[in-house]
Formats: sequence, C-alpha cells, structure tokens
Amino acid sequence: MVSRVLGFGTVILPVLSVLCALAVADDPKPTPENTIHIELSEPVKPQTFARTLKFFVTDVTDRSGNAQPMMVYKPRKGVFLDRTPAEITREGLTKCLESASTLAADRESADFLLTVYIFRFGLSDSSGMDFFGKVEFAVVVKNAKTGKSQQVSAAGTSIAGVAILKKNLQKNVQDDINKAFGDALRNLLRGEKLRDAITALDVPPDAKAPEGTAPPASEKPVGATTGEEPVKNS
Amino acid sequence: MRLIRMIVLLAFFLAVLPGFGKDKEAQFKSVEAKHFTRAEGVELSPEFTDYLYAELRAELTKAKLFGQVIGEGEVVDAADAPSSIIIEGTVTEYKKGNVAKDVLIGFTAGWRSLKLDTTIKRRSDQSVMASPQVHVRASPRWKDKVLAKQAAHQIVNDLKKALKDSGGAK
Repeated sequence: MVSRVLGFGTVILPVLSVLCALAVADDPKPTPENTIHIELSEPVKPQTFARTLKFFVTDVTDRSGNAQPMMVYKPRKGVFLDRTPAEITREGLTKCLESASTLAADRESADFLLTVYIFRFGLSDSSGMDFFGKVEFAVVVKNAKTGKSQQVSAAGTSIAGVAILKKNLQKNVQDDINKAFGDALRNLLRGEKLRDAITALDVPPDAKAPEGTAPPASEKPVGATTGEEPVKNS
Repeated sequence: MRLIRMIVLLAFFLAVLPGFGKDKEAQFKSVEAKHFTRAEGVELSPEFTDYLYAELRAELTKAKLFGQVIGEGEVVDAADAPSSIIIEGTVTEYKKGNVAKDVLIGFTAGWRSLKLDTTIKRRSDQSVMASPQVHVRASPRWKDKVLAKQAAHQIVNDLKKALKDSGGAK
C-alpha cells in the first residue's frame, strides 16, 4: 500500500512541476513587438501666473504599488511600456514646462519645486467594450524660498475602442494611454488647483524667508506606500 | 441615353457634395464634464464614476458640438465663459439586478438599473440650460460599467436636443 502511494507520488510530482513550469512560461515577456512608446504628441501649454515663475521637477515616485509597472495589458502576450511610468512622467512634465520657458535649469534657480507621486498609469477596468486609460498623480508644490508646500492632484482619462488584431490592439492601447497621460498633464498644468496652490504659496521676489523656517514635516501625499520607485533628476 | 447618364451622374455628385464640406463650426467653445456625485445609499464604486466621467467626455468629443472638451477643474478664460458649459449630476438610484430572474424569466426582468439627475449650465452666469433625468437598464450578466456607457450616450443625446431647442450658444 505504502509503495503504491509512493509510486503514485513519484508520477504526479514531475507532472505537477512540468505544469507549473508551463504556467510560468505563459507570463508575457517584453519584446520589441509588444512594446509601446508613450510620448506627448505636443506639449501642454501651462497656464500663466501673475509673474513669471520657474519650476523644477525634483523627484518622480511611482506609488501605484504595481509589481509590473511596465506591463499595461496582460492578455494576448501582453503590451509593455518601453520606459517606467516615472521616467515617462518626468519627461512629459519637463517637456511641457520647457515649452513655456518655465523650467528652471537647476533646483537653486527655481521658484517652485515639484515632487510627483504616481498612483496609476495605464489601463483600468472598463466595460469590456473598450479600453479605459487612466493616469493619476499627485504633485507636491513647494516654494523653494519659504519651504511651504501644498499638494495638487491631477487625473487624466481616455476611452479607446477594442481591436481584434494584435497590431491594432497595441495601437489603441498606445493612443489611449497617450491621451490619458496628456489629459492628466493638462489637468495639472491648466487646473484651478495648481493656480490656487501657487497663489497661496507664492511670495514677492524681494521678500526674504523668515529666520529658521523649517520645511513642513509631512510633505508626502496620502496614498499607497508600496512599490516606491524614485527617479532622480539627471 | 448618354445625356441621361450624365444627368444622373451630375445629380449624384451634387447630392454627395455637401458630405465633403467642412464640419460645421462648434456651437460652444468648451464644455466641462464633472464627476457625478452619488446620492446616499447608492452602492457604486468610485471607479464607476471615474468611468462614467471618461465615457461622458468621449461622447462629448464625438458629438462635435464643442471646440474643446476640458477636464474637471481646468481654467477657462473669462472671455470664453459665455460660450462654455458645465455638465454635472448625481447618481440617484442604482439597482444591482438579479441574474436568476434574468435567466429564468427573461424579457428584461431582473435587469440592472441606473438613474441620474443631470444639470447642464452655462459657465458665465450658472444659468441652467437643461436638467435631463436619465434612466438606463442593462442585463446583470454584463458589467455595471455598460450602464455608464449607455448613460453617457443618453446624456449627450439629451444635451443635443436641449441645445437644438434653445437655439445653441447666444
């Protein structure tokens, strides 16, 4: 009896291990064919303020908690981003600020420092009849002189049709995320929230920072704390 | 015979020609869709209202009535405010539906149901242009987001009707 059980075990164990190996092999891998490039087609023009301000993007951190932030679509051998959401966001935001000549060359010459926390970047659950692109982030706007800061949240959404062919599907996913990303940047840079934050934080250029002004203890936004992926400014 | 053919061809081209013309100019410079709020007791996730917002914006873009479909909370120039409208609303009722009833009885029995109160107003003076009440239904075997898609479509149709009745931007 014991030998029969042992014999059955020796047969079933290799079978299960082979099945597990096959299941692992099913996980999609990024290849040049299933990788998409996300880039703003044209930079978003930021709103104008009472005086010319310079911004500097200090850090972009991925707080989505996504174990595979570059995989945006899993079925049909997957669709992957060519760069991390943090890199894409930094590049997009920098490009927009640069287009309006509001990007500071370095931290010292900036009026405001921007720290971005990404909460979602990619596709979200939809009705099944289309793709629902969603990009959400929060930006901590900090006055470089006074050290005071405020959080501004921004979100972008987009809807794109589904496709049968993989090539078309990939194109639709790319367009969808591109639009959602552009929409989120527009929501940030042309939003009333940023205007209100700047109005509240801005001080006249000749005003000096009060002695011993310490930056606020908590500058990080409320959100998921897993999967941090800081991208330092190069 | 040849003359008749020529006349028929010419008539055909004349009939088709307006289709190649430029799209008619947008009636309004911009439209802002806001996230719908949920009335007390409505058991829907924030994801649903996000999706409804996205679908509404997609439908507004398709409608081609507006120069620009702007995101929630975006700054609009004071000069553009009179020809800009805002769409906001509340999800007043949501019924989950019953799959068993849908399968056993059929004929739309046990379907999901969603009711929305929508307000379309002018940005400059906040005057209400229309306040359509939308009621959509779908099978409980489909995702609840199908309702959002239907609702967005119906809101934009009602908006088109309201604009037609009021004579567009003034």
